[in-house]
Amino acid sequence: MGKYSEDPKWSDIDPLPTDEGGPNPLAAIAYAEDYEETMSYLRAVMAANELSPRVLELTEDLIDMNPAHYTVWLYRSKCLFHLHSDLHEELEWLNETALQHQKNYQIWHHRLTIVDALGEECDVQGEQEFVARMFEKDAKNYHVWSYRQWLVKRFQLWEKGELEFTEKMLEEDVRNNSAWNHRWYVVNGREAEGVKGVTDPEIREREIKYAEAAIAKAPQNQSPWNYVRGIRKASGTELAALKPLAERYASVERPGTVRSSFALDLLVDILSEESGGKQQAGKALDLLATTYDPIRKNYWAYRKSQLGLGSIETAATA
Amino acid sequence: MSLAAGPGRGHVAVGQLPEELKLVVDKHVAYIQSLDTRKDELEYHLTEHLRIGGIYWGLTALHLLGHPDALPREGLIDYVLSCLCESGGFGAAPGHDAHILYTGYSVQILTMIDGFGALEERLPDCKQKIARFVASHQQPDGTFAGDEWGEIDTRFLFSALYTLSLLGYLPHQRPSEPPLINLPAATAYIKACQNFDGAFGVSPGAESHSGQVFTCVGALYIAGELDSYLGEEGKDRLGAWLSERQLPSGGLNGRPEKLVDVCYSWWVMSSMAMIGRLHWIDKAKLTAFILQCQDPDEGGMADRPGDMVDVFHTVFGVAGLSLLGYPGLVEVDPAYCMPRHITAQISK
Repeated sequence: MGKYSEDPKWSDIDPLPTDEGGPNPLAAIAYAEDYEETMSYLRAVMAANELSPRVLELTEDLIDMNPAHYTVWLYRSKCLFHLHSDLHEELEWLNETALQHQKNYQIWHHRLTIVDALGEECDVQGEQEFVARMFEKDAKNYHVWSYRQWLVKRFQLWEKGELEFTEKMLEEDVRNNSAWNHRWYVVNGREAEGVKGVTDPEIREREIKYAEAAIAKAPQNQSPWNYVRGIRKASGTELAALKPLAERYASVERPGTVRSSFALDLLVDILSEESGGKQQAGKALDLLATTYDPIRKNYWAYRKSQLGLGSIETAATA
Repeated sequence: MSLAAGPGRGHVAVGQLPEELKLVVDKHVAYIQSLDTRKDELEYHLTEHLRIGGIYWGLTALHLLGHPDALPREGLIDYVLSCLCESGGFGAAPGHDAHILYTGYSVQILTMIDGFGALEERLPDCKQKIARFVASHQQPDGTFAGDEWGEIDTRFLFSALYTLSLLGYLPHQRPSEPPLINLPAATAYIKACQNFDGAFGVSPGAESHSGQVFTCVGALYIAGELDSYLGEEGKDRLGAWLSERQLPSGGLNGRPEKLVDVCYSWWVMSSMAMIGRLHWIDKAKLTAFILQCQDPDEGGMADRPGDMVDVFHTVFGVAGLSLLGYPGLVEVDPAYCMPRHITAQISK
């Protein structure tokens, strides 16, 4: 006898056990008793299309046991909307659940559905704070960042502290690529609507300065290097303007002083566009292939062949 | 078929890889066969939502290992058919709602075991019905929802395209019929997911992620637009980002500054193979990394050396080794994650 079969509230339900099993050994599933009992009640109420407060309790119980079962979440949403339940209460319950099951995918989609339905009634600042709490546990959680982007767009938070938020996250960890990506989104996410991002010279210079300061903290950090390159590409401005930055961390003439393979990589692109710079670019590629990033030697060799230069010279040493 | 982790652990590497460390093919086959006998464990039914996925992963690994008949064909057909919903879609397990991902896995399984004849007896004109189920999930902006609730993910879009392709229902496979889906809208959405670093995220603006690169590149590849969209320059940029995923251990990560994981050896490498840049990574080091993730005694592979093995990492490890040209493995198709000799029969 189980929790539901002994509860008078559920006595009208004939639980539906799983129809898996039978002669096929691949299909037979042995459930733990509690979970199976609860699932059998869910199957029964779903078969009868019952949408009631007790079904909400049932789904809550099941989600606690197994938050990855997407059918349970979907039926819960259906039930909530049918009953016009208090969605603020639902969010409070979700807060606890999300903190317990951080990698779960369904929780975030469910949250998005609820917050979207709340619309202007939603405490947006509360949402921002909750997301920040999630990042205290895992600052690179992909679902949470996606949700944060959705919040920014849905509630037009572009200029409501988001840039400062990325700064706070990057102060904590300058290597957090998710935070760099979010910054790009906040700065450039409205280009299609005519709000300029890095195509505006002032914003462009501000962002390059920001990335330069981050590079100074940790030169061998891929994210800000990608960021400055992305700015040049998106704004159609010359890569050559980044030469002083690249030379601060890499030199072909003094290979022993290279502090960043990403700077050396950038230097290759800048040098190869200069008249007479190809040989220097080739030397930089030799350095990358032999000393600073040898695991990708085939890639560096390809880059060298693209410049019409020969194969990698192993004599180059730092 | 279970996703339940363990019982074994990936090999704990100490110093150099011993020369005798080889892919333990027979152990992996036995491991996959054993998964279905572990139903008394709690984890088995907590992973019910992945059951049809588990079968696809296990079956694909067996095909690539050269043991396509190691699971009983009748049992597989019965199970897949028991996941069929009235809508023409498949759920993850019997009684689960139809979902585009599990419909994709089901079609992959049926293709590998030549099971559409059996399905036809149950559901006349089955291929068209499944195709219509998939097509019905396309949204006006070109994306695909996973289920009736409208969650959007580039995985769903990719799944929709490869499923239709395996069924022979993509517009260019049936030029004389009205198209079931708006393919240009679908690929336009994928292109909007490309980021400033040259790679792709889960939605426009979302961070680049190797898994999403695989789904986006795969979708463009199946739609026949990969070469024209990226061009050589775009392939170089994306290839550079993908090759930067390799760390000194030889393993690949999914995003900058994240840990290596065997499943990324598949997502990164398959993308690099589709854009013709696979030779940019250090194959010997990656091969050694994957082999270190196997349990040499009980079979199965883990995400990284020392962790618990599971069928998900086993298939992506084996498929990765296949792309690396590991001797004795069946060649894998990088877009479909199925044996090349089977996908070669699709009209493209």
